[in-house]
Amino acid sequence: MIQFSPQAKKRWNKFKALRRGYYSFIAIIVLIALSLFAELIASNRPLIIQYNDNIYFPSYGDIIPGTTFGFDYRWETDYRQLKIHFEQNELDGWLLMPVITFNPLESHFIEGEYPPYSPSIDSGHYLGTDMAGRDILSRIIYGFRIAILFSLFLLVVTYIIGVFLGALMGYMGGKFDMVFQRLIEVLSNIPILYVIMIVASIVTPDFWTLVLLLAAFSWMGLTWYMRTETYRENNREYVMAARAIGASHLRIMFKHILPNSVSILVTFFPFSVVSGITALTSLDYLGFGLPAPTPSWGELLQQGTDNLEYQWIAISAVAALSVVLTLVTFIGEAIREAFDPKKYSYYE
Amino acid sequence: MKVLKIIASFSLVLLPMLSLALPSLPSGLTWETNNDAKPWSSKEARSGGTFTDFILTFPPTLRTVGPDSNSSFRSYINANQMGLTHFHPNTLEVIPQIATHWAYGSDGKTLFYKIDKKARWSDGVPVTAADFIFTLELMRSKHINAPWYNNHYSKELTDVTAYDDHTISITGRVSKPKDELHYYYGLTPTPKHFYKNITENWVKDYNWKVIPNTGPYQISEVKKGKRITFKKKEDWWASDRPLNKGRYNVDKVVLRVIRDVNIAYKHFEKGELDTFSLILPEFWHNKAKGFLFENGYLEKFVFYNDTPRSSTGLFLNTATPILKDKSVRIALAHSLNFDRVIKTILRGDYERLNAFHTGYGEFSNPNIKAREFDLAKSNMLLNEAGWNERGGDGIRTKNSKRLSVNLVYGRKEHNDRWAILKQDALKAGIELNLKLQDSSSHYKTIMQKQHQIAALGWSTGFRPAFWQHFHSENANKPQTNNITNISNQSIDDGITAYRSETDNSKRMQLANKLAQLIHDEAAFIPSFMVPYTRGAHWRWVKFPDIPANKTSNSLYSPFGDGGIFWIKSEIEIETKAARKNKTRYPVIEKTFDIFSVKNL
Repeated sequence: MIQFSPQAKKRWNKFKALRRGYYSFIAIIVLIALSLFAELIASNRPLIIQYNDNIYFPSYGDIIPGTTFGFDYRWETDYRQLKIHFEQNELDGWLLMPVITFNPLESHFIEGEYPPYSPSIDSGHYLGTDMAGRDILSRIIYGFRIAILFSLFLLVVTYIIGVFLGALMGYMGGKFDMVFQRLIEVLSNIPILYVIMIVASIVTPDFWTLVLLLAAFSWMGLTWYMRTETYRENNREYVMAARAIGASHLRIMFKHILPNSVSILVTFFPFSVVSGITALTSLDYLGFGLPAPTPSWGELLQQGTDNLEYQWIAISAVAALSVVLTLVTFIGEAIREAFDPKKYSYYE
Repeated sequence: MKVLKIIASFSLVLLPMLSLALPSLPSGLTWETNNDAKPWSSKEARSGGTFTDFILTFPPTLRTVGPDSNSSFRSYINANQMGLTHFHPNTLEVIPQIATHWAYGSDGKTLFYKIDKKARWSDGVPVTAADFIFTLELMRSKHINAPWYNNHYSKELTDVTAYDDHTISITGRVSKPKDELHYYYGLTPTPKHFYKNITENWVKDYNWKVIPNTGPYQISEVKKGKRITFKKKEDWWASDRPLNKGRYNVDKVVLRVIRDVNIAYKHFEKGELDTFSLILPEFWHNKAKGFLFENGYLEKFVFYNDTPRSSTGLFLNTATPILKDKSVRIALAHSLNFDRVIKTILRGDYERLNAFHTGYGEFSNPNIKAREFDLAKSNMLLNEAGWNERGGDGIRTKNSKRLSVNLVYGRKEHNDRWAILKQDALKAGIELNLKLQDSSSHYKTIMQKQHQIAALGWSTGFRPAFWQHFHSENANKPQTNNITNISNQSIDDGITAYRSETDNSKRMQLANKLAQLIHDEAAFIPSFMVPYTRGAHWRWVKFPDIPANKTSNSLYSPFGDGGIFWIKSEIEIETKAARKNKTRYPVIEKTFDIFSVKNL
């Protein structure tokens, strides 16, 4: 069981007291949790099928070929066809579809009409479809999962590099500090977006290369804060005491100094998430992000702005983006407030 | 006076001596000309007015050779730089341009031309034989920094000879049918008096120079990054030619730089642009509607043309282990549902391309049909080829290797097309991994032959070109156009025969046979073609009864074979007023299918 320090508890209570931030926090957590189970919310695979005394759960894992249900093809069962079959032959079995019956990658065409289809409850496209006939709501849900996971992974990688190097610079000082300061200055002046565009034009980046690429150019910001924090803490008495007992450098850095500088890291947390989501969205918007047909907000936004006459595309993308970014910013504000040293500070 | 006399008598002596130094024309030449070609313009055409169109980017240079010169703007400059002869855009017969007469040498690779004595550069200097010899000199110079031109004008065009100031001959490397001699060996003159010397600073010096030309218009103003204006020459030397009557009617052509097509369309709706090409289905169906059309202010034309179609489709690299197997290639072709793409996101506007060389008249084989979407055939072929197991994700496997191939493409606008094909290929148990690249690295990947499947379109030529795309000499080596790496002895033999044949009817037979062999190799999966050009224009732009030619790619080109429309400024004023007080005119939507291939 993790033991929270009284200080942390106080901060948490303060955070909870800031209603706007706290509710946003809950909302985001719920959204992330839901998106992790997106396959159960939006998919063309049923949640459950009962057929000839067998029960199938097709949502996850391998495809179930059509032959399983008595069709004459070996590719994935067309569950819409199966549903119609069950409606006509009720004795054969039944199936339960998710709320949104479309997979984000699947183009669904309505006979006699051309995509994009406008939002409609009858067609099941609650937010309409994009230019290729893919369900927008489904793409927004999966796009959210990708964007949020992307920014969280990005955050972890940048924090590991940034915290480690920043702490090392502050702790060691001298030439090491000097060299890295200059290096960081040089790196910070490289326009990240351009670098990524160049790389993306040579190799099509996948999720992880994009995380690593962005991380390689965005860890610098954090080092400055971590470095100053370490510099300050380094001269505190508890650090000297630890040093006197003979604690190793790593132990002093990560066991003593880091926990005392954690507040600064936490306040940056939500803003890093925001910048991660925006970075991915803008890259996708420009066409240098994840390869098509990956569901993505940036790609949706691009389709929307190119085809303003179909307002629902742009509106859906902008609304989704604004809601999530606003929620995260609310959380950020609340955290900053809760961690404000003017309110809770301990000085020996 | 005395001095003048001396000079005069001197020149009397000198002139015959000079002409002695020139080679004499071979005897037995039959001079041909063509003054009976049917004009394609209208007698009702009136001159005057300004025509405004847009370009998406400002050209990086005004040069037409050398670094960065291969931009789309080059065609506007070249269209005003006349050649010796030209082809009639409807009948494809040879018609005079700078040359009034032409003759064919007995070696089958030499052309003789008589230059029109009236021909003038835009600065008034006469066009002479020296300007043609200078073209060769310039194109062979290392200073122009254009290796392709250096090579082409040394190896393909071997010689230009002047017999007098207005008679020249051009000799090429190999003999060709007569019409092709004009196409491949006909030269455009270069103003020698303007360039004088070619120095090593040539590329830099001539970046923004307006070069004297021989065509109807000349650049009159260049506003960097904003617009380029062409002005009609007041006394163009060729304006009396029967074929030029009723053409090049507008006084000024303004090309504005508008960097986004969607924004350009808004300018068009405001009346700032006179015309707008609407080939893209989403523009034609979604944007080109509303009160401007319902009130008849804007008119819509669809014009079916009959011209070589770009060889667009998927190129399968036969050097890839999976695609080495011909039955896999055929199965893949049967697994791609192009018709679904056409019927859905392309709104039925495009047609399926059937063969690599389509639209070349009798040089194209009409019996070749693209392989249709047929999962049963694909299933049978793949099972026979040993891909009969299926993995948990539905993808076929063979010796635990997945049937998964990469498809590289270079335009993000095409994302959706490939995404739809991917879904149906999945049913066949084939995984297509879509890889979008920016256009220059896309080209690089393909030229390095590092692709598995590449989506690409080759531009068209005068006659089907086989050697560069299908000869084994170009297979399996980088930087050649045989991007499928096809290497087949019977195709090679066919190509050799096709290249050395100078009789057009025999060449047609050979081309047809080759087309069949290429189809059988199944390394190229044809995708789409657009059998027409279409667009909208304001009602003050007027056209002849037939608004374009058999070979027209655009209804609205002001130069070259186009320039047959005219602008009625009084209707422009009238329409702008009508727009304010909401006067209505009849709705005009016309389809012209006299050149439609289906009608023949």
